[in-house]
Amino acid sequence: MTRSRIDLQDLLFGLFLVAVSTGTLVATRNLVIGHAADMGPGYMPRVVALALMAFGLFFSGRGLWRMQVGIAPVQLRPLLAILASVGVFALTAERLGLAIASVAAVLLASLGTREGRLVETVAFAVVLSGAAVLLFVKLLGLPIPIWPR
Amino acid sequence: MELFDNLLMGLSTALELNNLMFCLIGVVIGTAIGVLPGIGPIPTVALLLPFTFGLSPPSAMIMLAGIFYGAQYGGSTTAILVNVPGETSSVVTCIDGHEMAKQGKAGTALAIAAIASFFAGTMATIVIAVLSVPLSMLALKFTAVEYFSLLVLGLIAAVVLAHGSVAKSLAMVLLGLLLGLVGIDVSSGVARMTFGIPALSDGLDFVPIAMGLFGLGEIIANLERPTERRVVSQSIRSLIPSREDLRAAFPAMLRGTALGSVLGVLPGGGAALPPFSSYALEKKLARDPSRFGKGAIEGVAGPEAANNAGAQTSFIPLLTLGIPANALMALMIGALMMQGIQPGPQIMTEQPKLVWGVIASMWVGNLMLLVINLPLIGLWVSMLKIPYRLLFPAIVLFCCIGTYGIANSLFNVWLMMGCALIGYFFIKIGVEPAPLLLGLVLGPQLEENFRRAMLIADGDFTVFLSRPISAVILGVVAILLLAMLSPQILKTRKEALAE
Repeated sequence: MTRSRIDLQDLLFGLFLVAVSTGTLVATRNLVIGHAADMGPGYMPRVVALALMAFGLFFSGRGLWRMQVGIAPVQLRPLLAILASVGVFALTAERLGLAIASVAAVLLASLGTREGRLVETVAFAVVLSGAAVLLFVKLLGLPIPIWPR
Repeated sequence: MELFDNLLMGLSTALELNNLMFCLIGVVIGTAIGVLPGIGPIPTVALLLPFTFGLSPPSAMIMLAGIFYGAQYGGSTTAILVNVPGETSSVVTCIDGHEMAKQGKAGTALAIAAIASFFAGTMATIVIAVLSVPLSMLALKFTAVEYFSLLVLGLIAAVVLAHGSVAKSLAMVLLGLLLGLVGIDVSSGVARMTFGIPALSDGLDFVPIAMGLFGLGEIIANLERPTERRVVSQSIRSLIPSREDLRAAFPAMLRGTALGSVLGVLPGGGAALPPFSSYALEKKLARDPSRFGKGAIEGVAGPEAANNAGAQTSFIPLLTLGIPANALMALMIGALMMQGIQPGPQIMTEQPKLVWGVIASMWVGNLMLLVINLPLIGLWVSMLKIPYRLLFPAIVLFCCIGTYGIANSLFNVWLMMGCALIGYFFIKIGVEPAPLLLGLVLGPQLEENFRRAMLIADGDFTVFLSRPISAVILGVVAILLLAMLSPQILKTRKEALAE
């Protein structure tokens, strides 16, 4: 953890909450609010969003005001590898089938660490893919193609 | 006696052959994830939810419960042998347990941990059975007004007693509530915050959210820290503790069980609080507190008993009132809802077979754990040798397939990806995601009961204070919140929860 002049943790959380509540207020602007005895669909979302806004402003303010710890630097490698792995699975699973999507997902996820060894990783990906097909498609009957259609 | 009738009925459910099997599967998987550092029970339960759709509700719950208390058991093995807590609840066991292992008493430490857990599990089962009946009687008096207040209490108490900043946790609960509102509004049929995406009209599935926030986010953060695991290499000699050890451990076990049972019932308790409190208590009571941290057997027996008792009694609010005490129980509620069972105060009277079956299965499961754990300890130790570089891609893949399998929807996979990013963000900024999950699962019930209560009372907010039960519950909420403002309590809480 590095020292920083502002409390980055609080500030980022506060800004995140403000963003979410603003988004909610915009997204629900056309919903009927109604009143307490007969609430419209917009009543609760707006109440919760306003409360979140209050929390968000509180944290942002506190973050700017007090000196505190910063955040540990973000390492892109694991972050991108895991996100890419899930993304590739979502893109390929229904089109190319589970077998190929699984191999791709495992290979990409493995890039999240430098410890991997190429041969071991590829072999492991193939074995896992086979196991996943057996377990999920053959045994549990998940309706997903195994090979490209 | 009604109690015995109920327990017998529960036992007959728990002892059905298929339920025995699901109990066994649950505790084995639970032990495995408890042993393996790097994956917690929350993503595991989320991952296994789709598999339970085809099962009967009691079988599903028995298996999922087994995973939970099995994980508590397994965590101690890693804590003692590797000095890495497999589970948050095993953090304390690391201190003296690993020290014992270094002194060549690994076998004794493992055995004491297992015996303490079994003893606590047995006592906790009895506590649950005894407490369930009066609680469910009280619950029958509940209307929407009382239930709303109770839901508020559950959420607030979970926040106050859990780790981390109370203000941040409250914000996270609200965030969860907001996410829970996504979907078609039940009373008006209007789409809310669905952004025109058809997959959102039924609301957000909590499984991809749980897997993303707790599973994948955690993996990304884990990968940033260089890990080293050193299994204590000397062979485990004797698993049978000496009479002397047992005599030293037994009082600690008793106190740990009592403490764990009480703390477990409180919302937000469950895993973290009981072992820490028990360790502090044992240290205070010890004639020679300096032994602690150097392999004191009480420092293993007390916390292990407390953690297992707490894990089990945290089922009480769920089984009697339909209110989850922590994020994991929230997933259980989700599992019930997917099975078509509406959780609520009526759950005990409407689903006696389910409730008592789960209670009885806990004792059965604990017995299984004792048998699985001690003789098979070598197997679990060898599992520790699976390198993380192979473990985590497998978890990622299974999360993808599991999330997809819930509704055969790729949208859920994308949702999980987004939640992984947000989960990583939360870890970076030091915010606990557990309250979010509670808010998400309880949100729809909270809104429904609030609207119904307001409808009954014609928009008069004082109804929550003019009804006696509701007023008492909200009074407790107020006391909890006020207590959090007191600096003295804040300080003790910080010490109790410090890791």
